Amino acid sequence: MKILEVNNLSKDFGGLRAVDNLSLAMEQGEILGLIGPNGAGKSTAFNCIAGVYPPTEGTIRFCEERINNRKPWDLCKQGLARTFQIVKPFSSKTVLYNVMVGSFANTDRKSTARDKALDVLDFLHLADKRDLPAGSMTIADRKRLEIGRALATEPKLILLDEVMAGLRPTEVDEMVDIIRKVRDSGISVFLIEHIMRAIMALSDRLAVIHFGKKIAEGAPKDVAADENVIKAYLGDEYVVS
Amino acid sequence: MTRHQLQILSLVLVGVVSFGLPLVLRSPTYLHILILLYLYAYLTSSWNLVGGFAGVLPLGHAAFVGIGAYTSTILSLQYGLSPWIGMIVGGILAVLVGILIGLPTFKMRGAYFALATIAFGEGIRVMVENIDYIGPLKLNGPRGLEIPPLKTGLTHFMFAGKEPYYYIILVMLILVITITYLISQSKLGYYLNAGGEEPEAAMALGVNVVRCKLIALAMSSFLTALAGTFWAQFTLFIHPKSVISLDMSFEIAFIALIGGRGSIAGPVLGALLLRPVSDFSRIYFGDKLPGLHLIIFGVVLILVMLYQPRGLQEPLTRAYNRLLDRLTGARAEQALGRSRA
Ligand SMILES: Nc1ncnc2c1ncn2[C@@H]1O[C@H](COP(=O)(O)OP(=O)(O)O)[C@@H](O)[C@H]1O
Ligand SMILES: [Mg+2]
Repeated sequence: MKILEVNNLSKDFGGLRAVDNLSLAMEQGEILGLIGPNGAGKSTAFNCIAGVYPPTEGTIRFCEERINNRKPWDLCKQGLARTFQIVKPFSSKTVLYNVMVGSFANTDRKSTARDKALDVLDFLHLADKRDLPAGSMTIADRKRLEIGRALATEPKLILLDEVMAGLRPTEVDEMVDIIRKVRDSGISVFLIEHIMRAIMALSDRLAVIHFGKKIAEGAPKDVAADENVIKAYLGDEYVVS
Repeated sequence: MTRHQLQILSLVLVGVVSFGLPLVLRSPTYLHILILLYLYAYLTSSWNLVGGFAGVLPLGHAAFVGIGAYTSTILSLQYGLSPWIGMIVGGILAVLVGILIGLPTFKMRGAYFALATIAFGEGIRVMVENIDYIGPLKLNGPRGLEIPPLKTGLTHFMFAGKEPYYYIILVMLILVITITYLISQSKLGYYLNAGGEEPEAAMALGVNVVRCKLIALAMSSFLTALAGTFWAQFTLFIHPKSVISLDMSFEIAFIALIGGRGSIAGPVLGALLLRPVSDFSRIYFGDKLPGLHLIIFGVVLILVMLYQPRGLQEPLTRAYNRLLDRLTGARAEQALGRSRA
């Protein structure tokens, strides 16, 4: 089954076309990577899929259902979760509180929400930090918390927007492991990432956008060797070994 | 004694003291001051459901007090209905008005929301000041309504002494604190806090932020209107400047901010601190410097925001917890010593 199908999606901001006629499809259980230079329209594409912006043109299907004008909170309850590139923790609240907000998506009972949140924190090795205020954590832990809250909503598909940006190499490795574990638990993963080493290792398939347009798609190795991609995006900034 | 037992003991102590006070304190003036203190603690706790948990700053809550006061008073003066029934009708009316105000304003943020609520509150006051009749209902414009003290007793919500009023507002205060506690422990409490702090993140996690805020405002306006009926029955005279005053809306917000928004104890602590300032500055400086209490509030607010941005409840809660630690710790050590010996 196709978990996500984006057809001819465009999004305008005033005169600027941030996403331009983008089409993508994802199988259930897949890890799809999305790369492109800064300002290419990656986050905007995520925001359209997650219901933050209504698309200017095109259709978005989630679990074979058209979701074009659905609200973020309804999409979340249907199983579409996302993280934010700029993390948005509930800073004055504890880590556990933050994750419980997510787990309330599937229950009205506080004890059930708490149990679910504790499971997620265990899964992310954050259990010992559960009583710290979220605002006091390191950037690596905040990125992890961002994923934790999203996982607590029990999604079918998770959109991860640059969850490795700002991390040290060892922390990147840990994050790669976490994302693999997320996929192994049956959740499809759509991720935006700048760290090539990580995204090449993780993605089953990779798509590249430039000025809002898709310029390549396929197996990571093929995409990295694609002439258009090297010209438009990789240049000599990234050397793929 | 365990920590939990100590907590319950201190709650019981506070309860016993507040229920026993009128037996010791026989001066009507002090009783009056205490009744107003509880009333403001009640009003601020009701306000806190939306102003504290939902992270917005409503500055027009006096409008709901006015709706409650006018509804029960008109129903009892013109139709002979018990103020207790009028109280509920006023609450329901306040919910409707609250939702009408909330729908357009909850999409605004920060100062825009606060300004819009001031505008609504003042708009309602000016309207009442200029309306003598709505159909058959007599509002009596700026002259207000007087409640003749004809029949006393519980069903008429009217008493000769101050003690019954004291106990009614005390019970109302305990109820609103209980409601606040239950909400803070519920899904709605989590959702309100989340939506108040980071609305976009909350929405992505399944929270319909505007809907939660409307629910909170509905509860808040209902509870606030009940206080309006209490006020009317207690003073037996209402007019737009007394029950729909901007002064009252501001005082509620001051108490909340200084005591600690979004906490359960904050509104009560704030009222304990600020109400005496209000009363005594009115008693001693009322004719010479009529606005003095608001200026003192301003100064206190600046100091509190500088040194305790989350309100006075935070250091006080910490001190209380430390006291509990000391008490339970000492006892645990004693027990240890005994078992060793
Ligand atoms: N809310 C917005 N309003 C106006 N322009 C926006 C908005 N969000 C993004 N943009 C613009 O859209 C383009 C794509 O941005 P974005 O999707 O954030 O890029 P990326 O995530 O690929 O770095 C940029 O030119 C950005 O300035
Ligand atoms: Mg981005």
